[in-house]
Amino acid sequence: MTSRALPQSKEALLKSYRTRLKDDVKSMLENFEEIIKVAKGEHDTQLSRLTQCEQDTYEMHVRSANIVRAGESLMKLVSDIKQYLILNDFPSVNEAITQNSKLFRTKQAECDQKLMSLRDDMAADLYDLEEEYYQSINK
Amino acid sequence: MSFSSVNISVEAPIENQIQEISYDGIEIYQPPLTLSESLAKYAQKIDFSKTTDVDLKKEEAVEEAKSDSDSKDAFQSSLWPWDSVRNKLRNAHQEICVLADVLTVAKDKRYMVLDPVQREPLETKPMVQIYARKKALAGAANVLLAGAEKLKTSQNEVARNRTTPDFHIELLRLRQNWRLKKVSNMIIGDLSYRTAGSKFMQTGTFEVTKAEEDEKIGSPPSSPLPGGGQPTKPSSALKVTIPSELQGVAYIEVLCQKDTEDLCSANINLLGSGAPSSNPDMHWQQKLEAAQNVLFCKELFNQLAKEAVQLQAPIPHMVVGNQIVATILPGIQIIIALRHSTSGDKKPEKPTPSKGEHDHVLEHSLHQLLREVHHKNTHHPFPHPATGPLGPSKKRMMAGPMAADRYELLDMTKQETLLEQIIKQSQHCLMRMRTGYVLDTLAKECRDPLISSHWNTLNSPTQSCVKINISTHGYDAVCRTPLVIHVGEKSLKCICRDGKVMNLSYEPQEFRDLIFNHITQHQILAVQALAKTMGWQSLANSNHLGSGPVDPLGNATSCLLASPTGDRIIAVRCEAQYGGMQVSVAHSPRSDFFPSRLVTERKWEHLGGQFRDVRLDRMEGRNFLHKMELLMASLTSNS
Repeated sequence: MTSRALPQSKEALLKSYRTRLKDDVKSMLENFEEIIKVAKGEHDTQLSRLTQCEQDTYEMHVRSANIVRAGESLMKLVSDIKQYLILNDFPSVNEAITQNSKLFRTKQAECDQKLMSLRDDMAADLYDLEEEYYQSINK
Repeated sequence: MSFSSVNISVEAPIENQIQEISYDGIEIYQPPLTLSESLAKYAQKIDFSKTTDVDLKKEEAVEEAKSDSDSKDAFQSSLWPWDSVRNKLRNAHQEICVLADVLTVAKDKRYMVLDPVQREPLETKPMVQIYARKKALAGAANVLLAGAEKLKTSQNEVARNRTTPDFHIELLRLRQNWRLKKVSNMIIGDLSYRTAGSKFMQTGTFEVTKAEEDEKIGSPPSSPLPGGGQPTKPSSALKVTIPSELQGVAYIEVLCQKDTEDLCSANINLLGSGAPSSNPDMHWQQKLEAAQNVLFCKELFNQLAKEAVQLQAPIPHMVVGNQIVATILPGIQIIIALRHSTSGDKKPEKPTPSKGEHDHVLEHSLHQLLREVHHKNTHHPFPHPATGPLGPSKKRMMAGPMAADRYELLDMTKQETLLEQIIKQSQHCLMRMRTGYVLDTLAKECRDPLISSHWNTLNSPTQSCVKINISTHGYDAVCRTPLVIHVGEKSLKCICRDGKVMNLSYEPQEFRDLIFNHITQHQILAVQALAKTMGWQSLANSNHLGSGPVDPLGNATSCLLASPTGDRIIAVRCEAQYGGMQVSVAHSPRSDFFPSRLVTERKWEHLGGQFRDVRLDRMEGRNFLHKMELLMASLTSNS
């Protein structure tokens, strides 16, 4: 229901997040499986053994590096999703705005009230002071 | 190039290689290679690179020849600047393709089976293979562990630095207070007042980036002196980049100037008195607020400048640079200036403190006016039809059903501009100051009737009210003259004791004269009221006495009082200029009578005798009324 309301680009973005997640996990798994397979060494080859060993070493390195890369990519994905959520979570933003505005409104009312009472006090005092001042000799 | 050097052929030794020497000294030779074996061996030794190189050279030559022959094509291709690069890339690509093919062919048995060349049998033991695999696995594990360690440390870093909030938490806080959106890879924010109804053209976009780690680490050493005291306060994980035109500090200065001297000045600075330094490690909230303030000031000044140019004033407003000069009253100008200092470290020279009085009312109202405009832009009066245009006021919408005529409609289109409003407010401010000044100086000058003024608490930016009471000390109950003054924008409205309304212009002298006039009236009325309580009779009184020396400020006021028995008459004349009190006394009949040729009988003395001046300054009494009371009392008792 909610995803239906999303625009095309947002939909695509979410989809890309999903595919990224799947790709990364898949890549981790596949690379691991491959490493295991290589470690078994059951493949028949026409290369010389030394070359084969060298190739296996290299392949294992690359695959393990791939796993690490996939892990970091997952971290990046997490941070991207966080960012996306923060930037597009309008209900929570609205809530924050309402809360803020409520806070400021109460503050405003408070200030107004204080100012009003201050003004009334000052006006009363000012009247007395003016009275006193203009009656006195030391003007 | 080693290819160009001379080729040396080395023939194979005639003897075969020794394979084994048995304990008894018999050497066992390797069996000689068969023909096919030796062919394979030699074929293996062929350096294919050499031939390909030659081929390439040949091809190049062919191509050159071709390009020479087909000059047009070559001309076109050589025109293209990246041609050589493209060619090289293409060659490289081809070679890579070939290499890949060769590798595939070599590796897979599908295409070709490589016949292992009979070589020195280097049989590797299975253990070696296992060791190699173990080593490879260890290498792979190391890579994995290193990656995991990196992730772990980065997580720990975050957990350890709890004092520095996480980037995402900071971003969330920022999002709660500011508008943000994501554009491709950047996070762009908006600090303009556009959502609040501003229509200012300048955009207030800023960019949010993650603060660089190395920058965070690198900044403390760069500023060791201030940083030494506060290493515990790390900078935020967020970095906000603000366009250069919004950096710094801005405020709007309002000055009311009389020719060259300042009457009052106001500084509008939304951030209050605090001079926010625009140093780079300021918290983003303050940074953004400062930028927003700059934007607001710019918009305000822009609006004012536009209006100043458009308005048709009798004395045209001047807009020079960042300054607007408008005349509010003859000889008095208002100067509105935009002050914007882009670099916070060099403080703008502020000579304003010497000018003293800051009028915060003007500061506030300028602020308020633009906010009101913003508010009006977003808040349209309800109800309005869903299909109708936004903008027309409620009054205008009612114009149709209420059948408004042309003048009413024209009236609705008139809108007061910000500049007009601020000019009116400053005019009013000035008028209020002048009125207050006149009242205070008069109260100081004039001791006898007391002038007390009470300013009304409730007033608007363009109207205020002052209540003046003229009374004599000790005789408040006998007579007091109240006076109400409405201070407007360019005029004063005085409501006198008798309900008369007088409109005065902005000249303070007029107001002064009016007060003097009321002082004289008060004195005369007070004397009469006093006389009434003393049992004296008021014979006549005139507020505008035509006789006597001409007064510079209007006419003198006077009255005549008769004693209860009617044999004494007191004449009081009060001139508008203070101190012009003249009191004369006449006795009728005089106590002694000597018939003369003109006045033969005593009865004629009842007509009244000569007036003799009373020297008031020699009399006892605190003030004029007191003296009059004493005088009347003495005259009554004498009879």
